Amino acid sequence: MFGLVKGLSVTLKNMTKPKVTYRYPDEPLKMPERFRGIQYFDPEKCIVCNQCVRICPTDCISLTGKKNPDPDQKGKVIDTFDINFEICILCDLCTEVCPTEAVVMTNNFELATYSRDNLYKDRQWLEENNTNVRQENTRHPLPKKRTGAKKG
Amino acid sequence: MNPLIVIGPVVLLLLVLGFVTYAIYFERKIIGWMQSRVGPNQVGPFGLLQTVADVMKLWMKEDIIPQKADKFLFQLAPIVAFVPSFVVLAVIPFTDQIKFADLGVGLLYYLAVSSITILGMLIGGWSSNNKYSLLGGIRSTAQMISYEVPLILSVVGVILSTQTLNLTEIVNAQKNVWFIFPQFLGFIVFLIASLAELNRTPFDLPEAESEIVAGYHVEYTGFRFAFFMLTEYVYVFAMASLTTILFLGGWHAPFGLTFIPPIIWFLLKFSLIVFFLFWLRATFPRLRADQLMPFAWKVLVPLAIANVFLSVILKELPIIQAYY
Repeated sequence: MFGLVKGLSVTLKNMTKPKVTYRYPDEPLKMPERFRGIQYFDPEKCIVCNQCVRICPTDCISLTGKKNPDPDQKGKVIDTFDINFEICILCDLCTEVCPTEAVVMTNNFELATYSRDNLYKDRQWLEENNTNVRQENTRHPLPKKRTGAKKG
Repeated sequence: MNPLIVIGPVVLLLLVLGFVTYAIYFERKIIGWMQSRVGPNQVGPFGLLQTVADVMKLWMKEDIIPQKADKFLFQLAPIVAFVPSFVVLAVIPFTDQIKFADLGVGLLYYLAVSSITILGMLIGGWSSNNKYSLLGGIRSTAQMISYEVPLILSVVGVILSTQTLNLTEIVNAQKNVWFIFPQFLGFIVFLIASLAELNRTPFDLPEAESEIVAGYHVEYTGFRFAFFMLTEYVYVFAMASLTTILFLGGWHAPFGLTFIPPIIWFLLKFSLIVFFLFWLRATFPRLRADQLMPFAWKVLVPLAIANVFLSVILKELPIIQAYY
């Protein structure tokens, strides 16, 4: 019998307690630090090493490079870079493998759309996805570019 | 003919519909708060139009009558269930001015007419021609008939002390002391039995989804289904009014706070009862089906009879008899 009263008091006290639900569609959700969201792509940093394409488990990344327009510089620059979010599993491998942190994760995750075609994101879209960029990305970043000769 | 005779019930019906709309809204809100949620807040400001939207949805749904159902009875059942729930409101005195019929046997009328709803449930369960709805209908009927016995026995104490079945006179007899104090045992039994009559938690077996696929109204869709739900909430209105009148002193003000109008006092006590129903729903699990009947017959009925004898004995004792 006493248990019934006890239960009633619990529910009554719960009425005034702060709510545990989020106001999600009205207010954006704050994701944890290491959340794996939609990639941000920085074409300036990309060295067209193709590592992200090779490691991608779902083959959703495709890229092409072209010769560096500046004749003094060696290597290639990126021409097209596309991620197909129909099959991307946001596994984070492309960012882990990227030596220059050209592909990094963001905390954005809203991809819902009315057409599957819209899920095919190109270089420009990924470059504009520059909010909430994750801070800690690759595990083995390249050493900072040395300036000037180093002795020893 | 006095035009009020026609307009009064129409106004009451609209008021009751308004009450049902916002009772459902507040029920969801209160249960939400008690479960650390916000409750409905999307449709209209603060979600105030949520129930309106729900009713619109039911209105637009396809009206399905099963092929093998008894068509006439199937269509009749929601009406048989609903009409008594509204008709009983005729004898409820909201204040000494606002009332419709001042019957000498008002309480008896209420208890008798409200039993007809059980028939509506049984007809609904039978005419659906579905074994689940038939079983559900029979179980609901068994529950409601069983709990009607302690419900009626528990008010005998009140009737004995007022020596009348007229609800206005019962309220006037509580001018000084509300019957909840001298008739406390009767009040408890009445409260529990009325919960079972209203099919509300913890006695909501007749419409529980996890019991035999929701009971007697499995086959009902759209507005016929809405009528069964409406019936339930109109009974909440009626039963909360009756509890206020029988045990909480109706429109009488406590502590001589008579500057607040009687209708406000009635509404306050009434809202308290309704809130209590929602509170119970947020707290208690459902009673098990095999515990349901023994609880009515072995616990509530003896308690109610004990209350009758207690009232009779206390009525003969000096000093105390002033309260009975």
